[in-house]
Amino acid sequence: MKKSVLYILGALGAICLAAGLWWLVGLAADEGYGPSFAISIGIFLIVFAAISLRWMHETAAALLGAVAVWLVHYVGGAISPALQNLSFETSMQFVDWNVIFLILGMMIFMAMFSETGIFNWMAFRAFRLARGNAWLLGMVLVLLTGLLSAFLNDVTAILLLVPLSIEIAQTVGIHPLAYVIPEVLSSNIGGAATLIGDPPSTIVGSHLGLSFVEYLIHMAPIAVLCLIPLLALMTLMYRREFSSARGRVSPALVARLEADAHITDRALLVKTAIVGAATLALFLTGDIFGMPPSVIALTGAAILVAWVRPDMHQMLHEVDWTTLVFFIGIFVVVGGLEESGVISWVASMIGDLAGNSLVFAAILMVWIPGVASGVVANIPFTVAALPIADYLSATIPGAENGVLYWALILGADLGGNSTYLGSAPNIVAVGLLAQAGYRLSFGRFMRDGVPVTLVTLVLATLWLLVRY
Amino acid sequence: MGRILCATRGGEASRRTQDAAIALAKEQGDELIFLYVADSSFLNHTAAPLVIDVEARLVKMGEFQLLVAKERAAAQGISAQTIVRKGKLRAELVGAARELGVDLIVLGHPVDQHEQAIFDEAALQAFATSLQAITGTRVRIL
Repeated sequence: MKKSVLYILGALGAICLAAGLWWLVGLAADEGYGPSFAISIGIFLIVFAAISLRWMHETAAALLGAVAVWLVHYVGGAISPALQNLSFETSMQFVDWNVIFLILGMMIFMAMFSETGIFNWMAFRAFRLARGNAWLLGMVLVLLTGLLSAFLNDVTAILLLVPLSIEIAQTVGIHPLAYVIPEVLSSNIGGAATLIGDPPSTIVGSHLGLSFVEYLIHMAPIAVLCLIPLLALMTLMYRREFSSARGRVSPALVARLEADAHITDRALLVKTAIVGAATLALFLTGDIFGMPPSVIALTGAAILVAWVRPDMHQMLHEVDWTTLVFFIGIFVVVGGLEESGVISWVASMIGDLAGNSLVFAAILMVWIPGVASGVVANIPFTVAALPIADYLSATIPGAENGVLYWALILGADLGGNSTYLGSAPNIVAVGLLAQAGYRLSFGRFMRDGVPVTLVTLVLATLWLLVRY
Repeated sequence: MGRILCATRGGEASRRTQDAAIALAKEQGDELIFLYVADSSFLNHTAAPLVIDVEARLVKMGEFQLLVAKERAAAQGISAQTIVRKGKLRAELVGAARELGVDLIVLGHPVDQHEQAIFDEAALQAFATSLQAITGTRVRIL
């Protein structure tokens, strides 16, 4: 698309946004809301746009947003008390520290686990097991990605498996997109299966105070179900690629794959596997002790660090602090919305729209995040939508079984599959493909992503209506 | 005997450039060096946890891509050398050209499956011109 067209569209979007905001502020003023109502909306929308349109690093945008919330409170509040909205002390109550420490604990695990070389080894075993059958190999890689995304983290799974999958695809002679796109889609679906798989899952699960098992019981079945249409669609969409894969593979390329497919640190692997299994057991039995998932993850990480004795400076360097700061910033920005009354106002509007119909509310909670997640960042969206789910769950009869929260998770996770901007794994995979010389356009991703998103969202809606 | 430095990645789009560089090296009896630059800047906007050594992963992937290129050259009777560097394409191209003392830098003009240029033609030409000015080495777009 030409730049001038983009500028015109951008300008039109900005005008519509400003007009919408003006209307919203007028409406809110009629209902007695103060200036912090409009200011908190403005801060949120700017942060949201900066993240979704990639104006700057996500963490920088979230941090700037949080700082803006505090500056308005302190500096603005000194000028006019009406501008006081969210103090630093109060804002800390909006930060879900369980999410922050759960992510921190899992990052330490992932950093150590990824150094063992186990993922290269597993991918090469898959290559050997498939014996040159490109379709079978694709199936195994897609399922492996889904599984790793559920128990590690979706972006880590993509960073570990996509480079290998590109190489494997080149070795068997098929286009890498035939493996990489389904892997990305699988990653977003697999991430919904557990509390630690995907940020929306972690945020909602933590907000509800769910244990690992409670979350797993509700979400794992639908995540597994959604993988079935993905595999079917992958088979259908890439049937020509799979059938045209060359039978003879280059010995030099296979030798290269094999050379990289060894366990690099056996002792570390054994220790990581033992502590990982013990941590998983704790996750599964955490209910007995009433332990939050963050404490379990940190327990495992602490034991692993004490046993492996890595260079702690190096270890702490490997922890990605930008992620943690990003989450804190987003929680504060959304806290500003909550404190100024925006969230409850929007929630009551959606509540009016849904009436007392739980079915309609559930459909809205799947499809609004489902469609929005394709074009906007799903983490701030989920954080902002969570209080709305709270409101609707408290006011709509029958919603106390948590169906609206499950709807939100499924919408935010599965909806991220429709475009390559929809979630972090998609963006990372596009970058990795480009580094290997394969350009994946927006439209090309949508060709595969939209059908899978539609089918899985329909499946998720039916699942929610039947199960709850 | 001269030295040709060919910056490449992989995939269908880069094959033609690789083949053209191989043909040129064969015709002139020059030494051919394929260069891959591992650039992780595409992760600069994401707050997703990046706890693994992404650059190391990219280097390994680059080595694989260059092995593919090397095999293509070998199939045409050319024994090509390969180099993987970490960083930005421009800086690494300049660095490699100076360190290796190459006589010619070959850049790709990759097109997608619909035969449309992936990079803006004018931008590629400007890049080649500036590269030539900085390194003092001839630059050809194939």
